[in-house]
Amino acid sequence: MKALAVTLASAALVVVGAGIAPAQDANPEPPSAADTAKGLQEWERIYAVFSHPRCANCHVEDDHPRWSGPEFATTRVHGFNVQRGLDGSGMGNAGLRCNTCHFETNSSVPHGPPGNEKWQLAPVEMVWFGKSSEQICAQIKDPQRNGGRSLEKVAKHVHEDELVGWGWDPGPGREPAPGSAEETFLAIQRWVAAGAPCP
Amino acid sequence: MRLTVNGKAIDIDADPEMPLLWALRDIAGILGPKFGCGIAACGACTVHVGGVPVRSCVLPVGDVEDNVLTIDGLAQDGRLHPVQQAWLEEQVAQCGYCQAGQIMTAVALLDEISDPTDEDIDNAMGGNLCRCGTYPRIRAAIKRAASLKAGA
Amino acid sequence: MGAIATITRRSLLIGAAAIAGGVAVGYFYYRKPFPNPLDDDLAEGNVTFNPYVKIAADNTVTVIVPRAEMGQGVTTTLAALVAEELDVALDAIKVEHGPASYAYYNREMLAEGGPFAFFDDGLIAESGRAAFGAASKFLGLQGTGGSASVRDAFDNMRQAGAAARQMLIAAAATRLDVPAGELRTTDATIVHQPSGKSVTYGEVAVDAQTLAPETLQLKEKAHWRLLGKPQMRTDMLAKVTGAPIFGVDVNLPDMLYGTVKMSPRFGAKPTKIDLSAAEKMPGVVKIVQMDTTYGHGFGIIAQNTWAAFKAAEAIAVEWGEPDYPADNAAISKALQDALASADGSALRDDGNVDTAFADVAREKLVEADYEVPYLAHACMEPMNATARLKDGVLDLWSPNQVPTITRQLCAGLAGVGQDNVNVHTTYMGGGFGRRGEVDFSMFATLIAKEADGRPVKVTWTREEDVRHDVYRPAAAGKFRARLGDDGMPVAVDMAIASPSVMASILRRTFPWLWLPGPDKTIVEGSFDQPYTIPDYRVTAIPAAISIPVGFWRSVGNSYNGFFHECFMDELAAAGKLDPVEMRRKLLAAQPAAVKVVEKVAEMAKWGEALPAGKAKGFAFTLSFGSWVGEIVQIADTPAGIRLEKMWIAADVGTALDPGIIEAQLVSGAVYGLSAAMGQEVTFADGMVEQSNFHDYDAMRIFQCPEFEVAILENYHKLGGVGEIGTPPAAPALANAVFALTGKRIRKLPLNKEVSFA
Repeated sequence: MKALAVTLASAALVVVGAGIAPAQDANPEPPSAADTAKGLQEWERIYAVFSHPRCANCHVEDDHPRWSGPEFATTRVHGFNVQRGLDGSGMGNAGLRCNTCHFETNSSVPHGPPGNEKWQLAPVEMVWFGKSSEQICAQIKDPQRNGGRSLEKVAKHVHEDELVGWGWDPGPGREPAPGSAEETFLAIQRWVAAGAPCP
Repeated sequence: MRLTVNGKAIDIDADPEMPLLWALRDIAGILGPKFGCGIAACGACTVHVGGVPVRSCVLPVGDVEDNVLTIDGLAQDGRLHPVQQAWLEEQVAQCGYCQAGQIMTAVALLDEISDPTDEDIDNAMGGNLCRCGTYPRIRAAIKRAASLKAGA
Repeated sequence: MGAIATITRRSLLIGAAAIAGGVAVGYFYYRKPFPNPLDDDLAEGNVTFNPYVKIAADNTVTVIVPRAEMGQGVTTTLAALVAEELDVALDAIKVEHGPASYAYYNREMLAEGGPFAFFDDGLIAESGRAAFGAASKFLGLQGTGGSASVRDAFDNMRQAGAAARQMLIAAAATRLDVPAGELRTTDATIVHQPSGKSVTYGEVAVDAQTLAPETLQLKEKAHWRLLGKPQMRTDMLAKVTGAPIFGVDVNLPDMLYGTVKMSPRFGAKPTKIDLSAAEKMPGVVKIVQMDTTYGHGFGIIAQNTWAAFKAAEAIAVEWGEPDYPADNAAISKALQDALASADGSALRDDGNVDTAFADVAREKLVEADYEVPYLAHACMEPMNATARLKDGVLDLWSPNQVPTITRQLCAGLAGVGQDNVNVHTTYMGGGFGRRGEVDFSMFATLIAKEADGRPVKVTWTREEDVRHDVYRPAAAGKFRARLGDDGMPVAVDMAIASPSVMASILRRTFPWLWLPGPDKTIVEGSFDQPYTIPDYRVTAIPAAISIPVGFWRSVGNSYNGFFHECFMDELAAAGKLDPVEMRRKLLAAQPAAVKVVEKVAEMAKWGEALPAGKAKGFAFTLSFGSWVGEIVQIADTPAGIRLEKMWIAADVGTALDPGIIEAQLVSGAVYGLSAAMGQEVTFADGMVEQSNFHDYDAMRIFQCPEFEVAILENYHKLGGVGEIGTPPAAPALANAVFALTGKRIRKLPLNKEVSFA
């Protein structure tokens, strides 16, 4: 079982790697007003994805992933006292790691746990849950809070990362994030080309 | 499929999508792990795969690539595991149905943290539901197991 | 007088003979009301002395505990009753459930079924108890419920042990040729100290079996070795090693597996069925259509449980319409309509309530409306049973609380006589009243009929279990009170509407029986509380909603505890009185109650100032013959309200095993707190909306408060234990929430209004 082989050490590397990646300069060319308007349109598409529960529920500030869906009156804290983990790994605590329930693939039973090889909570600095469009936008552009990525790399990450891709293939009974990885990748590229404006 | 369960190799003739729980219970006749919810929401089916506690009711048997340990294989050479011994001494179980899962999770917790705090216990055991409300005694038994292990 | 009339009608219903004969509790050995069921199946060389004791030649002592072990510890405490008198170590005996038999009828389970309060020792109440107990005998009701196992067994099983011991001594006296009076017993051995001679029980068992004693001598309480002290549970080793003791663990040669898919609308029939896809699923053996008093649907027989589950999903079916209010709003309206009707029975009517409210001044009047939802039991072990119908004999392995009713109803379905049904009662992964039903046994029986003599283990999915429960009924209450000049309540008027549990149970088990008189479960926990209030009326109003309802741990007390004790808390607040002090005054006529209140208040340091952001709540309920006060302390935290600590004081009359009683009190409280914090079963389109633990969860370890328990023994009658922790838990918490937040929450669950950490 590969999912079970994911170690805390490799998770920690992801976090450390994020910290030491080189910061990127902002787009040097000042964008035109038309570009900004177009860019903001693209951003709306991107924001619809990032703020969607399939993504935002695991990009949280308070160490608790969220549950949402038609069976819950409102979005709620993930049951069972599931947490980021005292070690900051994003993979839970001793005795109750993510991979106790979340395996390589989505469970086929209704309300069963979704799965992915890389299942874990997003790093604490990447907070989307409960944040405004403006806040998420600023964060995406800040290498300190986006995993040390250039915006190109952000687009690539959205395009290629398996766990990000899960958002569009979340298993039975869950609403997928809008669009697709491809569409979101293209939207980010267009947004960047338009000067990556924030609302 | 060939699985190693509690140190013994067993052949399982089953749909690889069948959850490990049902392969163990209905095909291998290993009845320690219990069926409670089928969606990884109660912990009664908890077993270890490669030392990691997992909810066997949602893990496809075809994805199991490592040794399986169930409550049935926890006692060694006729001696209870310290966690089982502590459970006995604290008289934890009431109906007992969830306790196989509780014990397997507690074993995993103590394997990582030898002297867990109340917070560690809260963080580890939240996925294991007990409808009889044995939680205060579970807490006491985990602490007793920690001292039994330390003294062993 | 209403109570007499009711009892008479019920008595006639169950047969006048039962009343005339009376019940001599505990004199089983002499009167032999039923044959000893152990005679039928006795192994070579084994001797049975009475329905509770078997002794083998190798000195193995087997004690029959004919009650459902659901976690409440009957296999320990009931065995200890025999072991105490028989002078055998508890860990040396073998405990078996034994067969279904009328000999094991539970008198006490029905004895408190009448419309009288536990503390009422008057002639009418006492004759009522005799009549209801006799009903249990007449029905041969071997049941586990009503927190009655120990109360029923206390005399019977001690006498069974004492009688066997005296017979063994008599046989030993002859064998050793010494006077019986010089013999002592210890550890299943009879010793003659002066000569040093001894024999084991097993060695004289055959000789002893005919030597019935003239009189029975029971040990004085002061001489108890086992009773009154915490014992190691007889089932603990099996439960820490994962032993296959539960219904789901039944494993038989040639066994098939199965599950059920029943109509999600109660009582509705399929209107369109397509089994073709399901029948083609791999591993599927057969799909059986089932029509029962519990509902309509399908049984799936397969090579393994998983295959059965998948096939059940693949059955394409449309169901008929419900004949009950189909959603929450309609249910709530039905309850309110019932409250507004005059169709009630005042099971308590002290003084003159109407007069008391005729001239009440606005500022002395307190009024409140309360409501609680349906609740599921959610036992950890989903409903299941295993059945085999072969050569005209039905064998049923069933985790059930009612073996004789199970035998009767399943015999009918299988088309065999009751003598050809063997009910093997397994350990239960929780019961809480749910396993006092017969649906899971009936379904397994119907499925086994189609399995060509092979056994079929039928396990429900959790979804099926949650959506086909017999629910704790929803209920609504309309309350008013008049306060005196000192702030104390002088008049209380409570009207409570709820579907009748008893009527619902009869509909699905014995539909030809008629339930006479009011169902006291509607108001138990409100009408029978030991408060003295001059004008005090509690009215039960049955609401006609046919969603199946049943016994849910503490039954009507589960919501009446909340109604009554939250309203009391409101009255204390309105009268500017301390809620504990107000109870002490209202309970003054019952010293046992006062002592419970004082004890729990002292333990919790009630009245001492708390830091900001913390508060305590108090509640008291007398239920199942035990007097229970609970105080919970809660704290406001950023994550929500956290339950920090709960104190419980309970007077159970005589505490036979303090370790198990403590566990049960905590267990009952956790069960009640779980429901109060967040549980509700809701309906849409006639179907239950919840399905599994993600949307019908219960308290988890990280939410569980610390507990401190005191067990008192002041009252002169033995009380129950298994359910008594539940009724005061919800009101203690709701009252604490009021103290913390100022919010008076009159509708459960509480998490609709406040959030919990």
